[in-house]
Amino acid sequence: MVNLKNLLNSLNTEADYISLRSVHHHSVSVGVRNEILEGVSSSEDNGLMIEVMIDGQIAYGATNSFELSEVKRCAEVARQSALMAKRFGLFPLTHQERPKVIGEYKSPASRGMDHFKPSEITDLLISLTGQMKIHDHIISRTANFSLIETHSHYVASNGSDVHQKIIRSTISLSATAASDKGTQRRTFGDEQSAQSGLERIDRAVLLKASQKIADEALALLEAPECPTETMDLLLAPDQMFLQIHESIGHPLELDRILGDERNYAGWSFVKPSDFGTLHYGSKLMNVTFDPTVVGQNASYFADDIGAIATREYLIKDGLLERGLGSLESQKRLNLPGVSSQRATSWNRPPIDRMANVNLEPGHSTMAEMLSTIERGVFMQTTRSWSIDDYRNKFQFGCEHAQLIENGKLTTIVKNPNYRGITAPFWNQLKMVGDKSTYQIGGLTNCGKGEPNQVIHVGHASPACLFSKIEVFGGGK
Amino acid sequence: MSTQYSKYDSVAFENFSKKILNELTQDESLTMTLSAEETLFSRISKARVRQITNVAQASIDYVYIKGNKTLSFTLPYKAFEEDVDLALKKLKISREWIEKLPDDPYLVRPAFYGITKEENLNALPSNDEMLSGVLDYASHVDLAGMFASGDIVRATINSAGQFHWFKTRNFYLDYSLYNNKQKAVKSLFAGSTWDALALRENIKDSELKLSLMDRDSKIIERGSYRVFLAPSAVAELLGTLSWGGVSMGDHQRGNGSLKSLWEKTKHLSPKFNLTEDFSLGMSPRFNDRGEVAASSMPIIENGLLKNFLTSTRTSNEYKVETNFATDWEGMRSPVIKSGSLARENILKELGTGLYLSDLHYLNWSDRETARLTGMTRYACFWVEKGEIICPIQDLRFDESFYSIFGDALVDLTNYSEIIPNTGSYSQRDVGGSKVPGILLSEFKFTL
Ligand SMILES: [Zn+2]
Repeated sequence: MVNLKNLLNSLNTEADYISLRSVHHHSVSVGVRNEILEGVSSSEDNGLMIEVMIDGQIAYGATNSFELSEVKRCAEVARQSALMAKRFGLFPLTHQERPKVIGEYKSPASRGMDHFKPSEITDLLISLTGQMKIHDHIISRTANFSLIETHSHYVASNGSDVHQKIIRSTISLSATAASDKGTQRRTFGDEQSAQSGLERIDRAVLLKASQKIADEALALLEAPECPTETMDLLLAPDQMFLQIHESIGHPLELDRILGDERNYAGWSFVKPSDFGTLHYGSKLMNVTFDPTVVGQNASYFADDIGAIATREYLIKDGLLERGLGSLESQKRLNLPGVSSQRATSWNRPPIDRMANVNLEPGHSTMAEMLSTIERGVFMQTTRSWSIDDYRNKFQFGCEHAQLIENGKLTTIVKNPNYRGITAPFWNQLKMVGDKSTYQIGGLTNCGKGEPNQVIHVGHASPACLFSKIEVFGGGK
Repeated sequence: MSTQYSKYDSVAFENFSKKILNELTQDESLTMTLSAEETLFSRISKARVRQITNVAQASIDYVYIKGNKTLSFTLPYKAFEEDVDLALKKLKISREWIEKLPDDPYLVRPAFYGITKEENLNALPSNDEMLSGVLDYASHVDLAGMFASGDIVRATINSAGQFHWFKTRNFYLDYSLYNNKQKAVKSLFAGSTWDALALRENIKDSELKLSLMDRDSKIIERGSYRVFLAPSAVAELLGTLSWGGVSMGDHQRGNGSLKSLWEKTKHLSPKFNLTEDFSLGMSPRFNDRGEVAASSMPIIENGLLKNFLTSTRTSNEYKVETNFATDWEGMRSPVIKSGSLARENILKELGTGLYLSDLHYLNWSDRETARLTGMTRYACFWVEKGEIICPIQDLRFDESFYSIFGDALVDLTNYSEIIPNTGSYSQRDVGGSKVPGILLSEFKFTL
């Protein structure tokens, strides 16, 4: 292991501030389809990001070598870039945006890479796809496992020193059913990435989930199309996660509001003056930025510029209070934010991201919510998603749905979709499920930024009821 | 900073590889695939530098086979001695792991697919000079985007003796310009030789387009409209097709989105021709295994399916012929054949309807019927009787591929645009597409 502090001290780079951030990823993944091992792969990635500040201008240099000569070359390249870019700087940074921070973080996972045995996981995945083999119509059965350890170390000329060791794992399953009536797919686990290791594997639970998705895929083949009408919409947590992600998380990113992201993912309908004034949703809506939830996918101690992570309300009783932006964006906008300037790895500069963005539970049980619905539909598990560059007009498709008639779940329907516009949609939030309906999830694939970065985020949500939503089915 | 400095060269990589390949025993084989880049990324907002980052990075994917079993691993390539130790250590662990794994019935063994070396390393001005050229000229406009320049390497070598090396040096300015109504136009200035005059022309042209966006936006009611989709919008549609649209494996497994075309229960317009055509020169013809695809292969011809992209693994599993696609079975260098619509006739032929320059955030809304949803973005206009009236407020569409490139396809433009991939997740992409614009008799908007 390279001593990063010594490396920093031996650089002698002339700058007002310099930091080194090393990131070491070690991951394994195993995939099985139709009881056949498709692949066991492991990956190691190790590199260093050097950050140099001169006269308020920051520039970065990234290298995957820790040889002193190469690190020195890289630091010099970054220094030259800072000098060059100074003339074109968008805004000057100060030492305030690079606070001194010392600390460490460790995921609560107990069994990481050292305990991984490829043959054990392969056997498990083979039995899971075998469990889905309930009918000839189940033509594709997959089970995938991944385990990722990320160890980052951040040191800076201001004395900062932060170690963070994060272990994440996911197991995801899918069953595809096909007949002359069409094709239907059910999945499990894609949105349940968490900071846990091999200890989370519960064979009995996974076997049950395998059976369930195979049964449901088969049943969907026989189901009628989801009707096209405006009705009450009850969403399960495994769809709420992406609804929160796309229509709360992204529009509240301060760098989007500032326009940094305009050329790629887009801008935001939220304006700086909306903080403290905009009724984002109904009074039942409470959303937190919470990197302190034990074991949730995007919990951490500090972001990649040294801001310590704390729990904050983004939306309280429906009112927009705070955006997702760290010290740089907060300074530019003179608005409160959170600790969220994160990089996907050593090879990218940190930008404003989500971490765990959670919709807090309310007070209604599932039975209470159902009982208020005369005609509606209950949708589960994201299948398709799309939203505009201002984060207004969205359309989501789900894998599974069931009609609700006079307070009761009735017919299963296939190809369910719904569409809406962000703020009106959240203002139609009519009931929020209680703790018994609440689930904690995590996504692995939030894409953003130029150069592009993909990052882990967390979302948690109860089941939620929205009134009068446009719902429709598939087919031409 | 200098673009000419290069950490990654073919001789060093070949020498390194041989040190690993020489360690293999008789029942073992190995394929090593290198992805490397040295890039300056400059993120720009308001024609000023938001973030500037120099990245030197390389990694190697190893596919290891012993007997009838396989596994793979990825390691960093640092172009230093320690790479050898790291790789041999991993090889040792892989030998232990592989013992207990089941056989792979669809195993693809490395073979000799020849030796090729392609390097396109034009001299570019320094990054300083190019970036200052952009920012100095653009100082009077609100320009947001990304300037990237540098070298990209793709290479693959295996224990059967094949070795392919592809190295390219290029730059791009992927940008948009904004007016004070938050309306924008999008453009891309890319190449492997620097032409300061052409850069200025490109930005000036965007400014001209942006001036059309000053008028108040019209709210368009939902419904079907006659539309013209510019080449950049067509490229977005094509990108989505690489998500399960043209993959043989996906169709075999029930995840394909052109099932009806495959089963010949539906067809597309006879005017629609889609080819995987490497003569564009933007992507190497070899895949991660070193298999070299045909320089040109029809995917859809006169509206009928000719070939799905098929990897050798898919070929082994489903007993169909391989066409040396990547394992992902997406298009690397797609070309849509142009038609007869001349640039000067676009508005006249459109008549009354919508001119759409770009589409955004596309996704299949129903794979079974090849239905796509997405948004309009950037310069999109309401056109009446062949005249641009005003920009529109962005609309959501939800329409079937069978309508877009089938019944509704009136004509394609007689010119095409080359659109390089500017993606940079983990590393900078290679590849691109060449597409014309399309005129459609109807296109459905739902929100
Ligand atoms: Zn995202």
